[in-house]
Amino acid sequence: MVTQPVYAVRFAAMASDCEVMLPAPDRAAAERLARCAIDEVRRIETKYSRYRPDSIVSRIGAAAGREWVALDAETAGLLGYADALFQSSGGRFDITSGVLRRAWDFRAARVPDDAELAPLLELIGWDQVQRRPDAVRLPRAGMELDFGGFGKEYAADRAAAMLAAQGVRHGYVNLGGDLRALGPQPDGSPWRIGIQDPRDADGIIASLPLASGALATSGDYERFMEVDGQRHCHILDPRTGRSCGHWRSVSVLAPLTVAAGSYTTIAMLKGEAGLDFLDGCGLAYLAIDRHGQVFKREAD
Amino acid sequence: MAAIKHSDAILLAALALPGVALAENPPEQASLSVSYLDYRDWQQNLDRIGVRSPSVELVLPLAGKWAVRGALVSDTISGASTRYHTAVSGASHFKEKRNAGDLSITRYFARASLTVDAGRSGENDYVSRFASVRGTVSSADNNTTWLAGIGVANDTINPVNLIVENERKHSTELMAGVTQVLTQRDLAQAVLTHVRGRGYFSMPYKYVDQRPREHDQDTILLRWNHAFGQHGVASRASYRYYRDSYGVRAHTWQEEVVTPLSNGWTLTPLARVYSQSAADFYFDPVYDRRLGPPFPPGFSFSDQRPRTADPRLAAFGALSLGLKVEKEIGRNASIDLRYERYRQRGAWRLFGTGSPGLLDFEARSIVLGLTVRW
Repeated sequence: MVTQPVYAVRFAAMASDCEVMLPAPDRAAAERLARCAIDEVRRIETKYSRYRPDSIVSRIGAAAGREWVALDAETAGLLGYADALFQSSGGRFDITSGVLRRAWDFRAARVPDDAELAPLLELIGWDQVQRRPDAVRLPRAGMELDFGGFGKEYAADRAAAMLAAQGVRHGYVNLGGDLRALGPQPDGSPWRIGIQDPRDADGIIASLPLASGALATSGDYERFMEVDGQRHCHILDPRTGRSCGHWRSVSVLAPLTVAAGSYTTIAMLKGEAGLDFLDGCGLAYLAIDRHGQVFKREAD
Repeated sequence: MAAIKHSDAILLAALALPGVALAENPPEQASLSVSYLDYRDWQQNLDRIGVRSPSVELVLPLAGKWAVRGALVSDTISGASTRYHTAVSGASHFKEKRNAGDLSITRYFARASLTVDAGRSGENDYVSRFASVRGTVSSADNNTTWLAGIGVANDTINPVNLIVENERKHSTELMAGVTQVLTQRDLAQAVLTHVRGRGYFSMPYKYVDQRPREHDQDTILLRWNHAFGQHGVASRASYRYYRDSYGVRAHTWQEEVVTPLSNGWTLTPLARVYSQSAADFYFDPVYDRRLGPPFPPGFSFSDQRPRTADPRLAAFGALSLGLKVEKEIGRNASIDLRYERYRQRGAWRLFGTGSPGLLDFEARSIVLGLTVRW
């Protein structure tokens, strides 16, 4: 069988550079095939956008402290996943912690003080969110839900499922460094995915093979500020409101992107204990600590 | 330890999200399967029927969206023809050959598939031609799949005893079902089938076998697959209810446990319990005093009312036990051996009494199969 050339179809979504890599007879065919995946990513971006007043996330936030908001099956499923993350991370992965954005302005490069954080911490607490199978209610005005912690990863999985349903057997979906493979390269060999050097935007610190499953990376270099020589990144501990500082970056290989991304975020949030957590997962990972030391594990 | 549990919980929760698993796919690899069936049944140490049946199946994926499947089977059947009532001796011996083949084409769409299948089966006295169309559609989250199909079969019957000539049988089958992912470990399926049959259903080689020319059948099949947490052990349970216009009501319960072992071995034990009521026009082995067997009491040659002595339309129960041993050889081949033992007794009928005077019936089958993928 003659193998087809591989095309990268690039697009921007979810504030990231994204691409669909897949074999096709020609570029036009590749773009036609990729269309369903791009549409799916855009659909999820729109549906769960914080910036659109009509999004489900905005409507739940607007009803906080007041009424219940009815849920569609997909959103109910994502809230179920958020609950599993909260329970499994000892409360560190909390989708009500998005309110901390109100104090952390990374463009202004100013670290909020305790007085600023205290009232926001009052609005955090997934365990206080009232849930029914088909509805949700935030108990206090000012609370909000934020699907940013796994929305991009979920979109990568959904987009890949769309392509697989069209018969795509080789390639991957890459949403800003969160990847879901559809299968190996057409010759059967795995894709080599470079891991960005957390201190050099153009550098690659390692590469990992990916033939099936997913790869996700969290890093302290995505959004951060440096104040008085200390780096503060966008991954914030919902219990303190403070940035986590132990890891520069954590990459995990897992069957699904949404799971891989959750492992990386929880490992970042757990600090030094994140390494034991990753070892306990039994998955392949690559972690770089704040001194630049690399910790690596192959899959079981 | 807690971290292991927590990380498993995250992956399981992720797998439960709608639409993140890759959907039903066309086969990625071509495959060729050859198998050989050896079947034998007997009653009271009398060998009845033996079947030897080699078959071959080829599946070819095409252009990523199509799959073509072709299968051929050749049966050699030998032994004594079915006896009237088990009390009658003198069954004649025969040997026949049946050849059958079918070809199907499946087109895979995003979240849907459509299959067209056609085939022919031929013996010296019986030719069947059949065709079907079936489709599946999955929900956006791929957790629900609906299936529907329609099939037709046209049979021509020309028994060598010329009791009838060029008789016809026509059946139309309608099928609808749904498969639902219940949890990340459970999958349930319900399928309803209705078959409308018109034509010649009698057994031409039996005296006193007159069956209605209308035969409608309804089946409800319920399946539940459950995956146990560790080591890929899975249970496949099913229940089937059958009723037809002849008055037969049947229940089948089946359980299989797929047990993967190390080094590519898989063991699958199977148990099946079956029970059926008799057809309305089945008569027990009590014969006419004047004519003797196989004629029922009061039989008259001008009597065209339906009647049969076929033990397959009697009331009985049955139990099957089986074991399948499978071994993966490298990445692209597997070999499997299946053994199944079947026992049937009148007294084993559930929810009622079995037909009196039925001889116990036993059978065993052995299937050896080899599959190669490339």
